Amino acid sequence: MAKAVTASVMKQKKGVPWLYLLPAIIVMTIFILYPMLNTVNLSFGNANGTASAATTCREGQPCWGIFENYRYALTNELNTTTIATTWESFWVSSYGNMIKWLLVMVTGSVGIGLIFAVMVDRIKQEALAKSIIFMPMAISFVGAGVIWKFVYNYGTSQVQTGILNAIITGLGFQPVSWLTGSPLNTFMLVVVGVWMWTGFCMTLLSSAIKSIPEEIIEASRIDGATNFEIFAKIQVPIIAPTIIVVITTMVINVLKLFDIVYVMTGGNYGTNVIATRMYTEMYTNAHYGRGTAIAVILILLIVPFIVMNIRRFTKQEAMR
Amino acid sequence: MKQKNPVWTLLAVLLVASLALAACASPTATTVPPVDTEEPDETEPVVGDFDCTGVTAGDSVSMLYQWSGEEEAKLTAILQPWMEACGVTVNPESTRDQALLDTRVQAGTPPDVAFWNVPQLTQYKDQLVDMNTLGANAANYAGYWGDIGTIDGTWLGLPVKADPKTLIWYSPANFDAAGYTVPSTWAELDALVEQMVSDGNVPWSMGFESGDATGWTGTDFIQDILLVTQGPDYVNQIIAGEIAYNDAGVKEAYEIYGKWAMDPAYTVAGAEGTLSTGFNDAILKVFSDTPEAYMVKQSGFASGTLLGTYPDKVYGVDYDFFGVPGAQGLQGGSDWLMVFNDTPAVRSLIKYLSSDKGGEMWATIGFDLSPNAKGNQSYTSEEAAKKADLLANATGFTPDIGDSIPGGFGSAEFSGITDYVNGGDLDAILNTIADAQADAMVQ
Amino acid sequence: MTTAALSKPLPKKRSPRKPSNLGTSIGIAIILILWLVPTFGLLVTSFRPVALINTTGWWTALDVDNGPVSAQHPDPNAPYMEKLGTRFTIDNYVDALTGYRGTSTYRAACASDTKPLGMNCNITDLLNPRGMGRAFVNSVIVTVPSTIFPIFIALFAAYAFAWMDFKGRYAIFAILVGLQVVPIQMTLVPVLRMFAGLGMNGTFPAVWLFHTGFGLPYAIYMLRNSMSSLPKDLFESAYLDGANHWQVFSRIVLPLTMPAIASLAIFQFLWVWNDLLVSLVFLGGSKPVMTYQISNMVSSLGAGWHLLTAAAFLSMLLPMIVFFALQKYFVRGMMAGAVKG
Repeated sequence: MAKAVTASVMKQKKGVPWLYLLPAIIVMTIFILYPMLNTVNLSFGNANGTASAATTCREGQPCWGIFENYRYALTNELNTTTIATTWESFWVSSYGNMIKWLLVMVTGSVGIGLIFAVMVDRIKQEALAKSIIFMPMAISFVGAGVIWKFVYNYGTSQVQTGILNAIITGLGFQPVSWLTGSPLNTFMLVVVGVWMWTGFCMTLLSSAIKSIPEEIIEASRIDGATNFEIFAKIQVPIIAPTIIVVITTMVINVLKLFDIVYVMTGGNYGTNVIATRMYTEMYTNAHYGRGTAIAVILILLIVPFIVMNIRRFTKQEAMR
Repeated sequence: MKQKNPVWTLLAVLLVASLALAACASPTATTVPPVDTEEPDETEPVVGDFDCTGVTAGDSVSMLYQWSGEEEAKLTAILQPWMEACGVTVNPESTRDQALLDTRVQAGTPPDVAFWNVPQLTQYKDQLVDMNTLGANAANYAGYWGDIGTIDGTWLGLPVKADPKTLIWYSPANFDAAGYTVPSTWAELDALVEQMVSDGNVPWSMGFESGDATGWTGTDFIQDILLVTQGPDYVNQIIAGEIAYNDAGVKEAYEIYGKWAMDPAYTVAGAEGTLSTGFNDAILKVFSDTPEAYMVKQSGFASGTLLGTYPDKVYGVDYDFFGVPGAQGLQGGSDWLMVFNDTPAVRSLIKYLSSDKGGEMWATIGFDLSPNAKGNQSYTSEEAAKKADLLANATGFTPDIGDSIPGGFGSAEFSGITDYVNGGDLDAILNTIADAQADAMVQ
Repeated sequence: MTTAALSKPLPKKRSPRKPSNLGTSIGIAIILILWLVPTFGLLVTSFRPVALINTTGWWTALDVDNGPVSAQHPDPNAPYMEKLGTRFTIDNYVDALTGYRGTSTYRAACASDTKPLGMNCNITDLLNPRGMGRAFVNSVIVTVPSTIFPIFIALFAAYAFAWMDFKGRYAIFAILVGLQVVPIQMTLVPVLRMFAGLGMNGTFPAVWLFHTGFGLPYAIYMLRNSMSSLPKDLFESAYLDGANHWQVFSRIVLPLTMPAIASLAIFQFLWVWNDLLVSLVFLGGSKPVMTYQISNMVSSLGAGWHLLTAAAFLSMLLPMIVFFALQKYFVRGMMAGAVKG
């Protein structure tokens, strides 16, 4: 296996790779790696980093020593009186919400992005259509918060200023308060997330689709394949590596997702996600120990995806 | 290959242009620099009402505050005479993001002064400078201000702005039309509410929604009820952690509140309306053309909000307020000036704001109320004067419980009341909040 | 992907469009409408006076008789067009551009002789420190280098990971991908401390460096993927012809990864353009960027947010232009003719 891998890359003078790599490594060490180590260090301390986390244990409560902040981060949102309450509270905790976000937003944005990229490839006004899908990315999160306020707004009098409730009352139903009812509110926020990020997926997937050589598509058309068959049997397999990259990137983006939730509900009503929780602990509650513990947990959650990616690269290179 | 060249050229041009602009761009001072045509030298120690000892013309003070828009304009107007007299420029930054202040302090590069909230006095107590060293005039402030601003025996914060919350806003025109009178005791208020309900009217407009602080209008109301049923000492003991939050007195207050907040007969759209209406929208509902409710309990800023949407309303005719009847003392929001760097310019600022002139200017410009007692006669609007009277006659002043207890208590309180109105179990909720309270005491 | 298919030289032309069937067009139309409606709502709202925004839905904008009494036309029998004229206003945009901070509007305040604080009531107000004009320039100064630098550095690193062989390439790459997930709030304090020690606080290079550092992990990840998906034969032919890494990198790999570079440029540009926290922490309020001005339009009590509607559109213009301009890199046929013999 090793021989096959090295055959696909060229041998070069010793030190040349480091020449190419050094600027990147230096910059990232200073700006990301060092702060990350600092973060891990703080996660074992108390609220302002002056003492060990073990000093914040309270009598009569479980205590994990220097991992006390991690105990808080992992269990504080759960109501462990019975199995049922634990299950219920898990699904509105930041971890449960992360699962909801990951499942719906990643499939949604990648799926819609892919289908749209393929469809729009065939029409004349491609640039315009892509720009419309892409536009939400250009609107900052503050702008998006205002935009969706006008969609979800809940008016108590006759008049509705949010278009969704206007449609519902127009059809004769009672208006719904979209952002306060759990678990619906998380999905309403996910809709905003998909609206914003599909443009990202579409841009990457569109450029990948365009790099498929024309002859292959034409050849299969001549062979009588339908559009759907071309999509499923030719385009998707060829751009599979890009799809996986897009999925990985979206997973990372969703794990880090902060602004949408923060601007629209502040993490209340059961919409909390990991990043908003981290922010609340660090800045609103001024507890550095707990905030950094949540950040470390967030970093650890990505590890499986990294492992998966590296394995895929190894396989890919072996096939080259 | 050929295609590459124009692109790289364009990129290079853009890059060079950015670098050049960056080099040439001078920092934007967002305040009007003083008109000072003399050569920079030490300003006279005392210029009129201002004490500018040690200040060199051209000195600057960097500030961080949460005010923007119109609020910032008011602050600038208040500081203008001082800036001109002492020849000081101000480098302000405005953000509501706590992360910015925190980051700057932690990294060792705090602003010279910050206008922020009570908990920050405790949070940054190791970095703040004693007000007595800076020459603040303590005589102009009532005792309770000193109590709040003193941490571990050192006076660290100068209160600059106060906004009483224990007020109920109503429309005199609507009251008159329906034959209601302003209550003067809690029992009368209760009776008035029942009267409104039996007349088929909705008494209260409530709105929790407020981003990540959703629920604060509810906790404010609870605290005001506590001021009526228990008094300010009880509230202060909760803040100190001596009375647990799941005490019987607190539970009673929640039940009184819950009866009003969750029932569509008592408040607009019941629990759903309370939860999802924005706090500003709740104010507007009492004063719209077809009002949805008769009263809203809110801080002093409510008049600004309603005038923003209904600029034709007249104070005393279309809108007015009365203090929550029976409240022993006031609850209020307050903004505090805290100092990180001791410089002559900063000292002259402190002396100015705590002086008679400072109090008068603050009241004249009308940036809410000035805790500086010398401002009491200088309010230009009837409404502000009435609020100032309430403040001056208050037998006690309690800051917001949620603002004062550090750590996770504040957000626990907000989520707690939100859950309660959403139908949660009161005992469990109060226990959770009491837990956060105990937790905060230990960190 | 067969080399046979690739080795046929093809004329470089845009491929003819496939016949799009009705189903595709309808599908596209539906998606486009769903995507556009929320933004369209904001666009309409940005032209309405604040009293109407709070009390009526934007889709009723053409209905001239609803809303509070104070927002109605004084003459109930006025013609429709006249009434319509009072229901729309450009005041939100004017206030946003000039940074007006009072309770009414810039035009009303200037017309009534009480000049708003710090303003001159003439054209120079467009350069008002609180307006969008100066902030636009600052935003450009922050964003352009912060986009170019990380991509530049990432190109070299990505090539090394994709096509060079050295010890530890997977391990280092793994750490890189992992660093993408470090939340930005964690990095602020240590980096700020470091900049303060170097005396770099409040300077543009500080922000450029930070954005470069933060943008690198994702940039390298994406570019590496794009580079490593290039066919091996390209490289083999080049090496057979005696090319070294630098020549392969600059003459072959760079042109072929242009679509990926263009995508990356768009995303990095957007992210830096819309960022608030980093500029505020490292640059400060003395050199305001557009996001800072926008955030300051809303007072702490939520007053003035109608200005946000206009400001959001103003700040969206340049990113959309960038997106359009870079569209030409997303074309087919870049691979054709790349491998000869």
